[in-house]
Amino acid sequence: MSKTTDELIESLSADAPRVAPGAVGRRVALGLGLGGAASAVLMLAWLGPRPDLADAVMTPMFWMKFGYAAATGLLLAAVLIRLSKPAARVGSLALVAAAPFAVVAAMAVMRFVQAPPEAHRAMLMGHSSMICPFRIAAIGLPVLAGAVWAVRGLAPTRLTLAGLAAGGCAGALGAMVYGFACNETSAPFLAIWYTAGMVVVAVLGTLGGRSLLRWR
Amino acid sequence: MDDIEPRLRGLMLAGLAGEAVPYRRLLDELSRLLRAYYGRRCPPGVDAEDLVQETLIAVHTRRATYDASQPFTAWAYAIARYKLIDALRRGRFHLRAPAEEADALFVPAGADAAMAARDLERVLGELPERTRALIRETKIQGLSTREAAQRHGMTETAVKVAIHRGLKSLGGKYAETVGGSDVEDD
Repeated sequence: MSKTTDELIESLSADAPRVAPGAVGRRVALGLGLGGAASAVLMLAWLGPRPDLADAVMTPMFWMKFGYAAATGLLLAAVLIRLSKPAARVGSLALVAAAPFAVVAAMAVMRFVQAPPEAHRAMLMGHSSMICPFRIAAIGLPVLAGAVWAVRGLAPTRLTLAGLAAGGCAGALGAMVYGFACNETSAPFLAIWYTAGMVVVAVLGTLGGRSLLRWR
Repeated sequence: MDDIEPRLRGLMLAGLAGEAVPYRRLLDELSRLLRAYYGRRCPPGVDAEDLVQETLIAVHTRRATYDASQPFTAWAYAIARYKLIDALRRGRFHLRAPAEEADALFVPAGADAAMAARDLERVLGELPERTRALIRETKIQGLSTREAAQRHGMTETAVKVAIHRGLKSLGGKYAETVGGSDVEDD
């Protein structure tokens, strides 16, 4: 019985080259990068960049949208890297990952209370609130696929939590890509509808984590 | 045993650096620890040694996920536990619930002895045929080892070994569920 285990150990240790540090981070980055590239292609083919993109990049609101989504995506990628390892502890990084949302939400509340009441509805709903979250979710899906590919090849042991991080990260990076197609300009819109799009993908990741991220 | 973490961690770091000899020693030690861990926790129907091997393979193929800033024992334990849970979930063991007549549920009082006999037959049914016959003849019908040996054309030693192995394998499988009570019954 243990003879075959000895043989297994023999063959495993005969084929154990050096492992470069940081391999986990590189694999997650590769998965997210490939997924993000696919998302960008999807966005360009489906919606196209906003026609006034050249002017928009001169405005702070464009960069606020970009910054919110990119910062959330990167912080959740760091959480995902932790959760791709056995015995992972997320710790205070989960709180830090919520910081960009806190900033955007605070700014949204400030803008909202400063604005005249007749402007409130336009600030909250923009002109695309009913389609924005679903577009973000759709554009986030290729990133989720890339994240799932990367994490399955590692060793997550808390699958639901890893699914949540993968979904949240994919939703945020999807929102970052969508920001190049979307011409909404209000902070309350960003805080509500962009966040809603990210949450949709995060929920998908959470529900699918246990089955999608299972490895053998 | 306080030194186990620094020792295994040292072996692991050497292994990650590509040194085969310490890495091999690590896998050897892990296989012993895993055998004890799964041996105590495997439900009937799961081969603990399969789990040991699967876990060693996972440790090997996913060794890049070990973060040198974290304890090695926690990392290895998390993989071992994941593999155990995965084996249970995959239903490689399925609790046996044979289809019976309805009166299996509605048993008259005092039928315990009959049920115990039925359980015994079921348990013995997992052994090879000859071992089963030997155990039944010597332990239940009361034949001596010599009589059983003559009946099966075996040496007495071979009979003893076969019975010992048979009982031991049953003991291994059922130790957690029946172990305590059959000592008291004696």
